[in-house]
Amino acid sequence: MQYSQKVLDHFMHPHNVGKMENPDAVATEGSPACGDQVTVYLKVDKDSHVIEDIKFLSYGCASNIATASIITDLAKGKNLEAAKQISWRDAMEALDGLPPVKVHCSVLAADTLQTAISNYEIANGLKEVPNFSKDTITEELKKIIYPKVGEDIVSLKMVKYVGFNNGEVLIDMNMMNFDQWRENVAEEIREHLEKYPEVKNIKINFP
Amino acid sequence: MTPGRIYLDNCITSMPAPEVLEAMRPYFEEKFWFPGTFISTGESTNETIEAFKASIAASIHAKGQELHFTSGGTLANNMAIKGLANAYAAQGKHLIVSVVDYPDLLTNAAYLEKSGFDVSYLSADSEGFINLAELKQAIRKDTILFMTTAVNHVVGTIQPLQEIKAILQAADHKIYYHVDAGQAFGKIPIDVNDLGVDTMAISAHKIHGPQGIGALYLRSGTKLTQLIHGVARIDNYQTGGLSIALIAGFAKAVELIWSDFTGNTSRLRAMSDYLLESLEKQIPHIELNGPRGIKRAPHNINVSIDFIEGEAITMMLDTMGITVATGSACASQGLKANYVLMALGKNHVQSHGSMKFTLSRYTTKEQIDETVAALTGIAAELRARSPLYASMIKEK
Repeated sequence: MQYSQKVLDHFMHPHNVGKMENPDAVATEGSPACGDQVTVYLKVDKDSHVIEDIKFLSYGCASNIATASIITDLAKGKNLEAAKQISWRDAMEALDGLPPVKVHCSVLAADTLQTAISNYEIANGLKEVPNFSKDTITEELKKIIYPKVGEDIVSLKMVKYVGFNNGEVLIDMNMMNFDQWRENVAEEIREHLEKYPEVKNIKINFP
Repeated sequence: MTPGRIYLDNCITSMPAPEVLEAMRPYFEEKFWFPGTFISTGESTNETIEAFKASIAASIHAKGQELHFTSGGTLANNMAIKGLANAYAAQGKHLIVSVVDYPDLLTNAAYLEKSGFDVSYLSADSEGFINLAELKQAIRKDTILFMTTAVNHVVGTIQPLQEIKAILQAADHKIYYHVDAGQAFGKIPIDVNDLGVDTMAISAHKIHGPQGIGALYLRSGTKLTQLIHGVARIDNYQTGGLSIALIAGFAKAVELIWSDFTGNTSRLRAMSDYLLESLEKQIPHIELNGPRGIKRAPHNINVSIDFIEGEAITMMLDTMGITVATGSACASQGLKANYVLMALGKNHVQSHGSMKFTLSRYTTKEQIDETVAALTGIAAELRARSPLYASMIKEK
């Protein structure tokens, strides 16, 4: 599957790209090792909590740049409560779809926006630092896309069990041993969970 | 080819030469007959095939009867590797390959491993040369086959085939020697006798011949178990239908290169040198992958462009009418970084930012200038969007 014209437009001429001086909040997600990294900068009005300005930087492929561009378009001018509702599915839809193996790029951009918002709220006393729990793990798993079909592994019922005990994460997966994406998905799970200092060890079981 | 498009992905496939299309035409339109006996149509095809075979075989210093046509390099590799492994399994079940070899070799090795063979995987150094000390150590009493890729398909490294021959021949028993020459054929001189190889795979479409035809070189006296059974039109290794037109095109492509082999390859090398020089002069933070100079095939330049990602680069070049390849995970179907670059010790960023240019006889200096100018602009634009570049600038 090829990229839609919308993706190409946002890739070739991205909106809101560049570094922001003195942002009110900033977040970086992804890593160079995974091949994609996005930074989102926010300027937020203190009283109305409206996102007045937003910028991004992206190291990544065409869909990575395009989804970061569209996410900033979607968030600009919204207040934080409304911006918190923006998901990777909104980005996908606004771009007229993405090839299944590229859906994870839209997750990264949406994720970075949400982290930037959360960083703003924590810094401005609008919320507490959330406690790490089993729910945090499940929320992270919802961000992992099965590249073959472009849907997340939780919706696809590929996650059978999630456990968290004394820093050890235990995940039972429902993926056949001939599935070529097993290694890829396991790697993604590790990348998403290793960033939490509470996580000391991750065990992923396949049938 | 699309008029005006600059095509620099010739290691995958190359444009058929106009002379090749012309040479094939009579065999599509008129002399399309299959080989046969006693009747004039069949006999004439027998003779034509023998003549074409002899001229293609001569390019690697082989005899006509040592060449067997295939659908391409992959079939030739399969026939040789599975054929040798199974034919000599009684003498041993140990094979040697390296981690940087062409997928044909590695997938066959993996298949044979599952079927009960033992495989040793040699490492490579930072320029892609396989570790010969490891080869010496890997040889066992039951080693029956060593296989290698003469010119690396990613970074153009020319393996030391003579030194490998010496090591294999120093063993106290026969170890069969298979070479995939997909990238080497037509780019570096190959003499199968001098190199002591037993089997070799070559193909036409990488040297401006037609797609759909290659050949297996099989040294006289070397046995293979037969891979594909069926009616033997020419011999038992070459069963089923065949295309005389493709054979004619293959022979023409060979003739076009070997009529001035040194001239053709020197021109390619001069063009590649010019490309590398221009890239290094105009784009900062760029690094050559693989060896520099004569130990590299004359048509391949592979560089890593720091702080940016290869799929985005190839997409932008594509919109400007320029076709190149990248080792980025994002551009691969399996979302994995290029295994050859990783085996050379490159990091993920270097692999994701790698660009492979493979030149052909039709590449011009003007095309190279246009490509480098386009890439210079793209690199600057993507770096302006890159958080990695931003933090590098900040650290400075």
